Amino acid sequence: MTTPAADSVDTELADIWARLLDLDPEAITPDASFLRLGGDSVLAVRMAALVRTRLSVVLALSDVTVEVTFGELADLVRRRATAPGEVRELPIDVVRRPDPTASFPLMPLQQGYFVGQQGGWELSYESAHFYGDVGLTGVDPEEAADALTDAIERLTEHQPTLRARVTAEGRQYVLPPDAPGAVPELRVYDLREETAADVEATLDRVRREMATRGPDATRGPGLDVRLSLLPGDRGRLHTAMNLLVFDGWSATVLNRELLTLSSDWNAALAPLEIDFGDYVDALQRLPQTQAWSDDRDWWWSRLDALPDPPALPLRTDPKDVSPTLMGLREAHLSTARWAALKEACAGRDVTPSTALLTAFSVVLARWAGHRDLLLNSLQLNRLPLHPDIHRVVGAFASTMLIPMELPSGATFTDLATRAQRVFGEHAAHNLVSGVEVSRELARRRDTTRPVAPIVFQSTLGMDAAIGARHPSSVGPLGEISFGDFYHQLRTPQVALEARVYELNDEMAIVFSLVEELFDPAEVDDAFQELVRLVEDLADGPAWDRVVALPAEREAGDDGLRLGRLDTARSEVVAGPPRDDTERLIAQVWEDVLQVPVLDRSTDFFQLGGDSLLAVRAIARLVKETGVTLGVRDFLDAPTVAGVRAALGETR
Amino acid sequence: MIGVLGGSGTVGAVTADRLVRHGLGPVRIGGRDLGRAAAVADSLDTRAEAVRVDLADPDSLAAFCAGTSVVVNCAGPSYRVLDTVARAAVAAGADYVDAAGDAVAMAALTEHAPDALARRSAVFSAGLMPGLSGLLPRLLAEEGPPARLDAYVGGATAIGALSAVDALLTRGPGFGTAQALWRDGRVVEHGLAPLRGVVLPGFRGRVHAVPFLSAEARALAESLGVDELRNYTVYVSERIPEALARAWADIDAGGDLDAHVPEVVAAADGDVAAGGSWYTLLFHARARERGASGPTRLLLRTPESYALSGVVAALTVGALVAGKVPAGAHAAADVLDPRAVLDALRADPLVDEIDLA
Repeated sequence: MTTPAADSVDTELADIWARLLDLDPEAITPDASFLRLGGDSVLAVRMAALVRTRLSVVLALSDVTVEVTFGELADLVRRRATAPGEVRELPIDVVRRPDPTASFPLMPLQQGYFVGQQGGWELSYESAHFYGDVGLTGVDPEEAADALTDAIERLTEHQPTLRARVTAEGRQYVLPPDAPGAVPELRVYDLREETAADVEATLDRVRREMATRGPDATRGPGLDVRLSLLPGDRGRLHTAMNLLVFDGWSATVLNRELLTLSSDWNAALAPLEIDFGDYVDALQRLPQTQAWSDDRDWWWSRLDALPDPPALPLRTDPKDVSPTLMGLREAHLSTARWAALKEACAGRDVTPSTALLTAFSVVLARWAGHRDLLLNSLQLNRLPLHPDIHRVVGAFASTMLIPMELPSGATFTDLATRAQRVFGEHAAHNLVSGVEVSRELARRRDTTRPVAPIVFQSTLGMDAAIGARHPSSVGPLGEISFGDFYHQLRTPQVALEARVYELNDEMAIVFSLVEELFDPAEVDDAFQELVRLVEDLADGPAWDRVVALPAEREAGDDGLRLGRLDTARSEVVAGPPRDDTERLIAQVWEDVLQVPVLDRSTDFFQLGGDSLLAVRAIARLVKETGVTLGVRDFLDAPTVAGVRAALGETR
Repeated sequence: MIGVLGGSGTVGAVTADRLVRHGLGPVRIGGRDLGRAAAVADSLDTRAEAVRVDLADPDSLAAFCAGTSVVVNCAGPSYRVLDTVARAAVAAGADYVDAAGDAVAMAALTEHAPDALARRSAVFSAGLMPGLSGLLPRLLAEEGPPARLDAYVGGATAIGALSAVDALLTRGPGFGTAQALWRDGRVVEHGLAPLRGVVLPGFRGRVHAVPFLSAEARALAESLGVDELRNYTVYVSERIPEALARAWADIDAGGDLDAHVPEVVAAADGDVAAGGSWYTLLFHARARERGASGPTRLLLRTPESYALSGVVAALTVGALVAGKVPAGAHAAADVLDPRAVLDALRADPLVDEIDLA
């Protein structure tokens, strides 16, 4: 490896920053931090990937914090270039797999979605997916469908994940481009001659259908695209994406590429050197590395001290609801306020994402009545293993647990600064995903219920990280009306999720929740409180005020509350398996878990099982016994004796 | 008179105590240090005498054996003592019980068997492992040979310097094969992988189970006619396996075995310091036939594994005295009645739990 000269490091690095932050390289001074120049953690990861390619220097995840100044980073790059050994490098490389159609395992979060689709799990749905439809004007009705069909076909060729399928055993593979059914089929509703009432009825039906029965990669393509042609050269573009194969980042990439290809028959996308399977394949080698073990030890040593999720008052026990759609609350921050908020954040050295996370936590603390909260967060960051990685479509997303501990008597600035540090510290150990951490936490807490069902997701900054903006003019499809956007998200193991994202130049705040669980008035109040707090932050006054928080660190134990649910199971008498059926169950578990199963009272998850292995064990038992066994039955009593009882006396 | 050699050690003291409790005394306590032997003798509630014995001095050993009906050897290291005491005992007209000493020691005696062995009995492997580990699983095969038998033995226990020498000497084909299992009448090498961080009934927390087809386990498999036998040594941490591996690597490179004794002792002490002293024997059988109704599991838990070996040695003396052991050299597992031993262990204060289910 050649060592870059000092001045070439500065030049290259300034060029990278300028490109990512959309700045003039001259404007980047040594003491300017990435954050102050408008960077955030998503962009920082993208920056690390670019540094890796262009300067041949590998930066540790903990190096690329948003607080780093240009001067510090340039020094670091020079040091790393001369002494590469001292860095905790990502110890793996992504390479093309020899057989692009070979099957590969599911990523941890994919496993969560996969088992969530099996039914019977708490807070689960038939399919986990994102649905959206957007208004079109000036549509060319003669050309639109053909242009879109052609775009889907070319996109399917370009992004192999559009051809991804998931097997019943919980593995995934990619169909060859010419395989039957490989290309998602466009459906067109020609409503140009219909009455307004009929148009409305059809749109409602399509929405309902696509939002409740999303595409499912275990049965067909993970993408469903439909086009409604409406009177007056208007239209609607409907897309539904299965979260099993696409994450939120991918949805954005996919939409952009689909629109780019639709707008121009001759548009060509830059070829991709790797695909999602190559990335997953590389990640399989991660657990053998010291870096991974270090991260695991870091998390494991903290597990017993993690707080409980916010003890929000519930109307119903989550195990007794079977939701079909999640409820929504949505508000937008105007362009001016969003710009002001970004500036206010930069002035206080926190990212807008952290400010929003802090605001959400404050609202939750007041609602739950206590100040130590365990939150889950969806992480769209991809490990910067390859320069193409941000353009690849796939289910890269992961989760990360965040303990939010809010001291009393602190100003919002104090809380946000503290959150920024906690978030950065946790994100620096992200080689072990939150899904794996949650599993171990569930094991230690001896529960099969979701351990962190309150989720925060921010994609603020993602647009910049992905690069190109949404084209608003799409050839035969006309103009896109971003203000006329309808969407629905269905994601398992979530009671309430706060999402923040950019929509053109505005910022959207959304609650997605299982409506059946909460008092709707309390949800409305909490949402309004969050929006007001964010507005106050944009306008300025909220930062330096002491934040009013509950006095107690722990909430009382009145009534039904999240995180305080009954986890008691029926007691099982210990001992060896008692009859042939118990012996069969133990044998199946041994085969699936690859450890001895010697006692009828031992918990499947304590033996090392996870939800994906549970699905496999259930499938095997159903096959061997011919008796139906529900996932819920298994989870309610995940012992040999418990499953024996669930299988009933018919055996 | 029952002679207990090594009577001031952990195993010997318990052996002497149980001999007296079972009414098999008087006893003669022999040890290198007369003062310690006398202290044990004084603590016993019966007529007991203490004698200084030097194992390396044939006259001293012969004098100790003279006038005894049974000599129990609890002195170690057993892989250095081998058949020395056994020969002295039968020469003096006594039967012999060895609380350790496995097939290698027995082979040393039978290779050039003394004439007296035609009239006297010599019982080896009369401890916990080997001993109980070869005897108790037979209770799971009373209705015919199981299809598969799993054995897990281990825990956390302090190891004395002499036992550490035994641990360091216990390797090579005469003792067993790592990662092997027994299947369909033969040894399958590399048939099993170590189980790390597993949960096992009767064991505390997560443990490491290392497959080791010992000579005793192999003999058990053959004797019972099981289709498959998996034998695991269980450790609570990596301390002992790592200490042994380091020592063996050095010994193979010409290093001195005794120099590694302190680190093995320290590793065992580290395990006990981390989670207390406990030891478990777990045997789990799978029947060949569907609908089988016999017991499938035997679980024994004790706080002190070495002390429990003394209990087994005393029970073996009881069987000898009752005339239940034929002349010649035997392994305890082959001549003791497993059900009688089970019942005796149930009543012993050193057994926290013994469960046949």
